[in-house]
Amino acid sequence: MAALTTDGLSARPPFWRSLKFIRWSIQLVAVGLSVAIVFYLWNNLIRNMRASGISTDFSFLTQALGVNIAGSDISPGAPIWRGLLVGIKNTFALVIVGVPLLTVLGVLIGIGKLSTNWLVAKICAVYVELFRNLPPLLLVYFMFNAVILQFPAVENSWDLGFVLINQRFVAFVGFVGQPGIGMYWLVMGVTLLIAIWVWIWRTRRWEQTGEPHRRVAWSMALLGAVALLAFLILGGPIALSIPAIDGRVATGGYQGLAQYFGVLIALSMYTASHVAEITRGSILAVAKGQTEAANALALKPTQRLRHIVLPQAMRIAIPPVISQYLNFTKNTSLALAIGYAEITRITFQTIGNGHPAPQMIALLMASYLVFSLTISVLVNILNRRLQYASR
Amino acid sequence: MTQATVYSDATHAKGEPIIELIDVDKFFGDFQALKDINLSVGLQEVVVVIGPSGSGKSTLIRCINRLEKHDRGRIVVDGIELTDDVKAVQAIRRETGMVFQQFNLFPHLTVLDNIALAPRQVRHASKAEAEATAMQLLERVGIPEQSRKYPGQLSGGQQQRVAIARSLAMKPKVMLFDEPTSALDPEMIKEVLDVMVELAKGGMTMIVVTHEMGFARAVADRVVFMADGQIVEVGTPEHFFTDPQEDRTKLFLSQIL
Amino acid sequence: MTTQEVSAVFTPLRKNWWLWVKENLFNSWYNSLLTVVLGTGIVYALLAALRSLFGFDYTILRVNLTLLMVGQFPRDMLWRPWLSGYLLVAAVALAAGLLKAQAQSKAEQAGLPFTKTRPGDVLRRGWPVLVLVVILLSLTQTITPTLLTVGLLAMGIAAYFLGRVIPARGRRLAWVGVVLLVLGGYLALAAFGGRGWSQWGGLHLNVFLTIAGIAFAFPLGLLLALGRRSSLPAIRTMSVTYIELVRGVPLITILLFAYLAIGFLLPENLKPSPITRILIAITLFEAAYIAEVVRGGLQALPKGQVEAGQSLGLPAWKTTRLIVLPQALRHTIPPMVGQFIALYKDTTLIQILGVLDLLNVSFIINTQPQFLGQGLFILTMSFAALIFWVGSYTMSREARRLEKKLGVGER
Repeated sequence: MAALTTDGLSARPPFWRSLKFIRWSIQLVAVGLSVAIVFYLWNNLIRNMRASGISTDFSFLTQALGVNIAGSDISPGAPIWRGLLVGIKNTFALVIVGVPLLTVLGVLIGIGKLSTNWLVAKICAVYVELFRNLPPLLLVYFMFNAVILQFPAVENSWDLGFVLINQRFVAFVGFVGQPGIGMYWLVMGVTLLIAIWVWIWRTRRWEQTGEPHRRVAWSMALLGAVALLAFLILGGPIALSIPAIDGRVATGGYQGLAQYFGVLIALSMYTASHVAEITRGSILAVAKGQTEAANALALKPTQRLRHIVLPQAMRIAIPPVISQYLNFTKNTSLALAIGYAEITRITFQTIGNGHPAPQMIALLMASYLVFSLTISVLVNILNRRLQYASR
Repeated sequence: MTQATVYSDATHAKGEPIIELIDVDKFFGDFQALKDINLSVGLQEVVVVIGPSGSGKSTLIRCINRLEKHDRGRIVVDGIELTDDVKAVQAIRRETGMVFQQFNLFPHLTVLDNIALAPRQVRHASKAEAEATAMQLLERVGIPEQSRKYPGQLSGGQQQRVAIARSLAMKPKVMLFDEPTSALDPEMIKEVLDVMVELAKGGMTMIVVTHEMGFARAVADRVVFMADGQIVEVGTPEHFFTDPQEDRTKLFLSQIL
Repeated sequence: MTTQEVSAVFTPLRKNWWLWVKENLFNSWYNSLLTVVLGTGIVYALLAALRSLFGFDYTILRVNLTLLMVGQFPRDMLWRPWLSGYLLVAAVALAAGLLKAQAQSKAEQAGLPFTKTRPGDVLRRGWPVLVLVVILLSLTQTITPTLLTVGLLAMGIAAYFLGRVIPARGRRLAWVGVVLLVLGGYLALAAFGGRGWSQWGGLHLNVFLTIAGIAFAFPLGLLLALGRRSSLPAIRTMSVTYIELVRGVPLITILLFAYLAIGFLLPENLKPSPITRILIAITLFEAAYIAEVVRGGLQALPKGQVEAGQSLGLPAWKTTRLIVLPQALRHTIPPMVGQFIALYKDTTLIQILGVLDLLNVSFIINTQPQFLGQGLFILTMSFAALIFWVGSYTMSREARRLEKKLGVGER
């Protein structure tokens, strides 16, 4: 082997030129700087709060809330933490109804944009362009002030039989349990389990023998029959509760505040416009190559959509759609503007009542963060599984 | 594992050694990409590295200019040892040019700017000087008329010739070629190989990873055969192609020739 | 012309027209049903909308137009927003002309095709804006704004063509001119006895917060994106933490924080004005989103580009500055416009803090004694909606156009 000749440059390089040293020092400086900034701000916070005599811990959470929360049984004397819990519950009430609503609306409009009917395609396109280019807060305001507040006052409610609509609330027909309701639920629970088993059994049979599974018909027929039979045998354990106006309040049925519906509808319509675009894009992305393959297999257009295009489009669409669900959830904070008592509104009111803003806002942010981060962890897991399955 | 077969006339590098690899190991996680590599390349020597895919050929030359960091052993280029010293790494990268399989031209710059960029930024040449050199190099690779175009407007062969010119603009002492013709359409391979042959005749020190056996035969001073991260056999083209010693070399040659 | 010739010209057209209707509206029984039902609904809705459009009393908008546009900017200083508008339009038009000229000379040198923008293209792409301007002018009470707008338009066109014809040597100087014009646009409002941003309002404030928010957030977002892609674990962790934390909460919570709590974090003598606090909040919030946009651009860049830079001996920061960023940022222009639109819409949130932005003004004017309880919400809100919609729609269409253009671009 030839002699190894090296000059001074490499013999013993000074330590500050080593990559390891450079990497470590950059990181140390960056971390040090960040810690210093955070420490400085934290110090200011504590000092300023002490100086103005504001409590620096969370003990104030047990003090009285001091406000009424419409649509809940919380009294102004209840502790703040219970008010916050109601706020979280109300936020969830928006999300749980809003997410299915906006999904159905968005997917329908997205498919509609691809319709062969020119008029349908145009209407869907106009919908998307109209709604996604408007500020969501403006939509919320518009829905509440320009639409819902133009509804009749409570005493002149629109009475559609099973639904009552006025500018303060919407009341739906509800159910009230009669004697025997417990037994009825028990029977129905067992029946549901049997129905699921029937579903699985029909599916297996279809896979083994190829005879039509008709699993929907079988299970639904079973459920329906038992529901009717048990209802009759138990002597009508459930009664309808039809909403009615009694002076300035409604009795019976389920009531939802107008503010709730204002936020729900406005934000669902807004988010649906985004979901529609995702749906359309995903279908187009799949349709290009796969449709030809499906045609070659002589599948009918409906079969093609159901078995080939939609399952794959869903795989593409799920991550961005979930990110839209997250946006929807974050946007529910706009309910603050029209006075629906979700978590942001309650935080805002509590601060207005003289409780310390830093802690309250920290709690508010933490609530949203827990939700967002949980969802994004779930999405990541889902993504990995989807990717794995597509390999 | 047995020691690599080394022919008597291929033990040493031709002339003064400019690149030396001593006992070099490289791992990607648990996978050992280079095992105990010893290679010495002399000034003005052309070494062609061949071997099946995944044999570590590319990793070998990517270690020489620190696109990959070797884990054990020593690599010395032109008297500078590759260590953690950033200055040494920069110095070695200035001395070695590299040509990639995918050209890696900068799509946002014109051909001329692609070539003039590094001399201006690294060697601090004036604009006029750098552009004059760039034009000379473009003439040398035969496409001066394309200087104002963008890489996307050129054919693959033309792009690769620009990439060679771009490397040469730094006046390197060593040129590394990482499968320079593998991404090209067959009709464009020759124009790139011609430039490389001309470069070799001009006395450039070159390490070429390639599947072009014709090029290896015609231009190489030595041929290195690698498999499973090891150097299996080293020899002059005459020996290597007519009288391979190792079974794995024979098998490989029988498959591709 | 004989009848035969006439029918030869018209028959295919009429046939196509009929075929088109048949294929696109009545191609199956359910589509026919849909067409009839939806068509009836649309006609009815359009008629109702038209009726109410003519039925409204637009006095509320006429009286409050200035308030909607610039908030409570002193009325004897209205020449300042106009002057500022002139300077900014000049800056934008000049920049557009310069960019177009640069693109043209680049394309000519490289022998690439270059399409000139025709007045027809401008009309086709910018019609919503033109319609909006006409609507706004129709609500003015004197002739002055119309004259000023015509002047503005003429000057914009002149500045564009000035940018087009400036020779290559003078372009660098012209860009300095653009920067000076933008600076002048700000100074015209704030300097020499004017009013700083703390006293701005109306649409003007929404636009300002959008531009300033993106401008301030961009450097921070760029650093965060590079940090997230860094090979240094501590830097990466810090960037990811910041980005994910900010993206996990709604903008309103950050606005509330800046508005109600930021005073606690600063030394006692530092008391930023409400608008400044809002700007801080927007900057911190947008930085995280811009970081994600830029990260998208960075991820799209092939690894070989960095390796090529390294192998040429370029130091890491020069590789980033000269090779990575120019390419990555080019690809982030369309999503960046998207981010701009999102912020433009989000600036309405400051209404919640009681700031008089366009949305809030369009809300509050309904409480003026002469308009109280007249149910004019629908009119004023629609007016605000129109303004936001025109801006967002036009920009999003431009972004999509750019995306297509970049897609078939130089790569």
